[in-house]
Amino acid sequence: MLSLFFENFKISLSAVFANKLRSVLTALGIVIGVLSVTLMGTLISGLDRSFESSMSWLGKDILYVSRYEWFSDMEWWEVRNRPRIRPEYVEMIRKRSQYALAVCPVMQRGASLTYEDKETRTEIFGTNEDYMETISTDIQEGRFFTASEDRSGSRVTIIGHGLKEAFFEDESPIGKYIKIDNVKFRIIGVLEKQGKFLGFFSVDKQAVLPLGAFKRIFSKRGWMRLSVKLQQDKINEGLDEIFGIMRQIRRLKPSEKNDFAINQTKAFESQYNTLKFAIGGTGFFITLLSLIVGGIGIMNIMFVTVKERTREIGVRKAIGATNGMILSQFLMEAVIICLIAGLVGLFFAYVSSLFINKVFPSTLPLGLSIFSIMMSMVVGIVSGFIPAYKASKLDPIDSLRYE
Amino acid sequence: MELINLSDIYKIYNVGGEEVRALDGVNLKINNNEYLAIMGPSGSGKSTMMNMIGCLDTPTSGLYLFEGEEVHIMDDGQLASIRNRKIGFVFQTFNLLPKATALHNVEIPLVYANIKKDKRIEMAHKALENVGLGDRMHHKPNELSGGQRQRVAIARALVNNPSIILADEPTGNLDSKSGHEIMGILDELHAQGNTIILVTHEDDIAKHAKRTIRLFDGKITEDIKDK
Repeated sequence: MLSLFFENFKISLSAVFANKLRSVLTALGIVIGVLSVTLMGTLISGLDRSFESSMSWLGKDILYVSRYEWFSDMEWWEVRNRPRIRPEYVEMIRKRSQYALAVCPVMQRGASLTYEDKETRTEIFGTNEDYMETISTDIQEGRFFTASEDRSGSRVTIIGHGLKEAFFEDESPIGKYIKIDNVKFRIIGVLEKQGKFLGFFSVDKQAVLPLGAFKRIFSKRGWMRLSVKLQQDKINEGLDEIFGIMRQIRRLKPSEKNDFAINQTKAFESQYNTLKFAIGGTGFFITLLSLIVGGIGIMNIMFVTVKERTREIGVRKAIGATNGMILSQFLMEAVIICLIAGLVGLFFAYVSSLFINKVFPSTLPLGLSIFSIMMSMVVGIVSGFIPAYKASKLDPIDSLRYE
Repeated sequence: MELINLSDIYKIYNVGGEEVRALDGVNLKINNNEYLAIMGPSGSGKSTMMNMIGCLDTPTSGLYLFEGEEVHIMDDGQLASIRNRKIGFVFQTFNLLPKATALHNVEIPLVYANIKKDKRIEMAHKALENVGLGDRMHHKPNELSGGQRQRVAIARALVNNPSIILADEPTGNLDSKSGHEIMGILDELHAQGNTIILVTHEDDIAKHAKRTIRLFDGKITEDIKDK
C-alpha cells in the first residue's frame, strides 16, 4: 500500500506542476480561506494579549464606584439625575466594610502643564494616599504623598513616566516645580512606565495630586469615582457588601433601584468578548465562503482532469489498477492541490502577521496553522471525492478507446 | 495444460433498442504456450473477444475459466487483480503514460501488485533489457521511436510474468521494419514458453501464430491449428 501511496503522490505532484497556471487559479480560493482564518486568529491572539495586559493594570480585585455604568444603554438624563459620589463615602465605606482593603476617591480633569518653556495638555487626578493600592503601577522614583499632605492641601504631585521624559529627559524631577494650570506644584515622585491602555491611549502622561489641593484649586464640584480594593479571595462577597453599603449611604428602600454603579473589569471583558466574537464571526464567514468557492473550483478542475486523463485511467485499469487505486490517485491529487494552497496561504499569513506585529503585538498561533492546513486537506477530500469516484467507476474498455 | 476455457460465451449489447450479439455462443480452449491469432473483419466481435479474454469485460452468459478461476462471476476488484497478475496487454497505440520514463512505465503494474521499490526497479530493468531497451530506460515515450515505444509496452506486459500476453494489433501503428522487429520479439517470447494471443486483421501478422481462429458475426468460423 505504501508504494501505491508514493506512486500516487508522485503522479499528483507532476500533474499539479504540469498545469501550473491552472493549479494556481484553482487553488486561489483555498489560499484565501487559509489566509483569512489564520489572519483572524493572529488578530484575535494579538487583541487577547494586549487586552490581558491592559486588564492586568486595572485589576480584577478593584471595584469602581461611580454614577454611571461603563457600558450601558441607559439614557443620559437618567444618569444625569443620579446623585454625585461624595468624598465622605470614603470614610463610610472604610468603617463599614470588612472586605475593602483600600478605598480612594478619584477626581479627574484635563489641565495644562508647564515646566520652563515646555507645555503639554494632559489629565490630572486628585486622590488620596491609598491611590497606589488601587493601580498596578509602582513608584519608580521618589515617593507618594501622605495622608497629612492630603489633609493640609499640600501642592505636591506625582507625575507619569511619559511626562517626566517629556519635561526632564534624563534629569531627576524630584523637588522641581511644575505649573498645573498656572499653579505651582512640587514633584515628589515619578510613576513607572505603563504603556498604552488597549493600545489606544496612554496614561503615562498623567499627574496625580492630593485630593485636598485638587479640590481647593481646580474644582469643588467635579465628578468623582471611588476605587475600592477588595481582598482577592472575597471579590464576590465584597461586591455584595459594597452594593449594600452604597444603598445604605443613599438610604434606598428595598423597592428602589440603585442610583449608582459599581463597575468591574468584567464589564470590559464582556465588551471585549463581543468585539472578539464579531471579528471571529466575520473571519469564520469569510473563511467558510472562500473554502466553499475554493472547493467548487477544485471539484471543477478535477472533473476536467479526469476527463483529460480518461485514456490513462483505462490503461491503468487494464494493467491492474483497482477502482480503489484509481479513486485514491485522484483524491490524492485534489488533496495535494489543497495542501499546497494551504501552505501558500499560511506563508502569506505568516508574512502578514509580521506586519500586524508592528502595529500591535501578535503572533500566528501554531494550533490554528495546523488546523488550517488540516482544514484545506479536508476541503480537498470533500471536493475531490465525486470526480475521483467518477474516475474510479470508468469502464476500462471505453476509457481505452477514448480519444 | 489448459489455460483458458471459454464455453458457450454470449455477449449481447443493447444498441438503440436493438440486440447486438457481439459474441454469439463462443467455445474456445487455449493451452499453455500456445501462439494464437484471432482474426476477423471489423464488427466480427474480435475486440469483444479480446476484452473478454483480457478480463476487461464479463460475458452476458457462459463460463470463462482462467487457470481454473471462474472469471465470469468476478467483480471489478477481482478482475483488476487477475489482469494485474496473469495478463500482459500490448495495444496498437502503445498506451504508455506520456510523462513517465520507460522504466517507470514498466514499473507501474508492479506498483499495483504492491511490490517493493528495489524489487520493482530490478524487475523493470530486466524486462526492458529483455526487449533490447537497456540503454533507453530513462527516456520518455516522446523521446522514443514507435518501435521502441511498443517494446516498452511489451516490457510492461512482461514484467509481472503473466500467463498470457494479449497483443491487439501490435504492429498497426508501426512501419514494416519496426513491425517486423516487434513480431520477432513476440516469436522469441513464445519460444521462451510464453502464451501469446494476437488480435489482428493482417494475414502477414497472423502467420507468426501457430493457431488461427476466425470470427464472423460473433461466431468462430474457423480454427486452424499447427500450421
